[in-house]
Order: sequence, then C-alpha cells, then structure tokens
Amino acid sequence: MIRHHPSAGTLLAHAAGTLAPGHALVLAAHLQSCAHCRAEQARLEATGGVLLDDLAPEPLAAGAFAAVLARLDEPATPPPAPPRQADLHLPPALRLPSALRGASIGRWLWIGPGVRYSTVRLPWAPEENVMLLRVAGGRRVLRHSHGGVELTQVLWGGFYDHTGHYGPGDIGETDESVEHQPVAGPEGCLCLAALAGGLRLPWLPRLLGG
Amino acid sequence: MIHNVVNGVYSHVNVLDPTLSRPARARPHVLPVTALDAPSPDAAALAVLIGHVANLRDRTAYAALFKYFAPRVKAYLRRAGLEGAEAEEVTQDVMLALWRKAEHFNPARAAAATWVFAIARNARIDHARRRRGASLPAMPELEEPDHSPSAETQTLTAEREAQLRAALRALSPEQQQIVQLSFFSETPHTAIASTLNLPLGTVKSRIRLGLARLRAALEGEP
Ligand SMILES: [Zn+2]
Repeated sequence: MIRHHPSAGTLLAHAAGTLAPGHALVLAAHLQSCAHCRAEQARLEATGGVLLDDLAPEPLAAGAFAAVLARLDEPATPPPAPPRQADLHLPPALRLPSALRGASIGRWLWIGPGVRYSTVRLPWAPEENVMLLRVAGGRRVLRHSHGGVELTQVLWGGFYDHTGHYGPGDIGETDESVEHQPVAGPEGCLCLAALAGGLRLPWLPRLLGG
Repeated sequence: MIHNVVNGVYSHVNVLDPTLSRPARARPHVLPVTALDAPSPDAAALAVLIGHVANLRDRTAYAALFKYFAPRVKAYLRRAGLEGAEAEEVTQDVMLALWRKAEHFNPARAAAATWVFAIARNARIDHARRRRGASLPAMPELEEPDHSPSAETQTLTAEREAQLRAALRALSPEQQQIVQLSFFSETPHTAIASTLNLPLGTVKSRIRLGLARLRAALEGEP
C-alpha cells in the first residue's frame, strides 16, 4: 500500500507540462505504481482539456490545413536507438520501471559505506540530475539539504527519515527547507531520485561530475 | 477493448454526418466543405471523429477535428509564450501528431479535448527543450500503462468533462485565473504573482486552495 504521494503542486506541474524533465521521469515512475495518483493526474489533464476547449480560438494562417494535409503521409521519425544501460545486477524479481526505458543508466559507483549510485542520463535532457541509489540495509545516506525539490521513488526495499517510512511505490518529496538523513530499512533500498539545484554536500558534485 | 468502445461510439455516426461513414480511400487533398461548415461538434462527436481518423484514416473527419482543435491549440501555445510563427508551426506538429496517434485515443479514459491537451502539452515541452538544445533527441513517448481504467478514471469521459467545466465556473474569478495560469504559463508561479499582485511566497498555497476548491466542486461539496 502506497502511503507517500507527490504534493498537489508537483502533480499539477506534471499535468501542465512545467515540471523539470528529471522530476517528470521520477513522477512517471510513481504514476506507474500508484492508481491513486493516476486518477488524480487524469482529473488534472481533464481540467487542462476543459481549459483548452474554452479558449478563444486563434485563427491559423491561410494554408495551414493544406500544409498539414500534405504531411499526413510522411513517415513518422523512427524512435531513437535504445540507450546504453549497464547491468546493475538487480534481483531477478526487480524490474526497473518502464519510465526509464529511454534513459541511459551507468554502472554502480561507490559513494560511501553501503551506498552506491548510478547516473541516469536522459538523452532528451542531459543536464538533469537523476540517479539510482542503492543503500545497504541499515545504512544511512549522508545528511544533506537540497538546492531545490528532490523526488525519490522507492523501487525496492525502503528507507525512513524524520518524515516517516517509505516503502515500495512511495515517493518522497523534499525541498530546500528540509535537511534530512535517510536510513535504509533492514532489507536495504533501491530508489530513483531526481535532484534540482544539486545536493548541498561539498564533495558530491565532484563525484557526480557536476 | 479500445476498438469495442470506439465501435460503440460509431453507432451514432450517421446521425452526425452521413458522409463520415464512408470508408477512406486515397482522396485528393481538397477541403471537404461539409465538415468545415458543420456547427461546432460536441465532446461525443469529437470522440467519434477521432475514432474515424483512427480506424478509417478519414480525412473528412480529420478536417473537422482540425477546424475545431487547431485554433484552440494555437491559442494555448500563444498563452504559453510562443511567438506567432512558432505557435503556428507547433500547432501544425500537434495536428499531425493527432493524425498519427489517433489509434491510441481511448474514449473510456479521456475526453477528446483532454487527449488533445496532452498532445499539445507534450509538444510544448518538446519545443521548449529544442529551444535550449536544438540537436537533442525527442523525449520518448511513455506508453500508457495497460491497466484497464479504474472505476474512477472510467467516469472521466465526455460527461465528466461537463461536470468539470461547471466546477471551474463555480470558482471565484481569481481562482479561475490561478488555475488557468497554472496550466498555461511556462512560469506559473511568477505569472500568478504578477497577474494577481501576490507575493511569490503565497502563490503555492493559493494554487493548493484553488485545486482543493475545484475538487470540492467536483465532489458536490459546498
Ligand atoms: Zn501516488
């Protein structure tokens, strides 16, 4: 059962298309696991539909329809080649969310005792700071704060911090006002996280190549 | 499943316009006058038209959809800050996508305007992205998870749209503006702060309040 959902503002920004691409990816992973948020997202998109419907139409240039008609039979651009995804040696039962399909995934890198990360690079938005984070049972991630909103979707296992316990399917949302130190549950934790503004740690940006 | 629903909707077709039930053949690129002169189609009729485009590749139906949606998509893109020529170009891309993706439209999941809104929104995201880095590949399409729509999403069809419209109208003018700017502006928080003359710090809570009111109106609460 999913207990932690994204904030109303984050869902709204996703429906409106103004969420940063990295956060949008993590949110897409959450939507794949959460029927509650899918329904909310559908409601928001329907609101967008009504607003679109109610807009005063702006006439198109003469010839616009003919121009589009002339393109109807053009072949669509083929999808890009699948990106490189390192073998992360995940437990066989664990499948990464299909929201990650277009992203390239780097190999595990060590960033502290029991803590490894893998860079998730979005070919369509390479500046985004997205990662998979794997934390061994009982291990903690260094205390950190954020330059912006951090979204963390639990894919496997769980963690807890002062805001509660996060299990599979839960999403954690923290902003610059929060300093936290997540601790993995006894079975460890695999998360997908998107950061804005970077972590406030003196050494991590170097490790992340940022 | 999708096709059953679409076929169900099809039964109304001849009422709408008998010319639409003709199967599509290779047609000359001539504007079908009947479709363009028809009065504004309602939500159910728009869904039927998309079904025709999906299953029959019907250019007459497509023309009617173009006439209805293209000027609205352009208005949406203009509000999102696109210049005239850009808005025109991206509108054409959106309308082309509508032709190509028509088979993915599921009337049990979304009203026609909702579906077009999502396509236009994605095109707008893509446009903003290309403005930053022209050579970047396109954002991949996420296939909709193949869950059969939940009871809750299933009711979000054409009729539900009317309910939503009534709920929006029930908001105060200020809240209507907040919801609109949230959906249309590229930088909603600053836009809301400057349009409504609010301190930036209070915008988040005003948006939350607007959404809560909208939801309360939908659920028939006072
Ligand atoms: Zn959720």
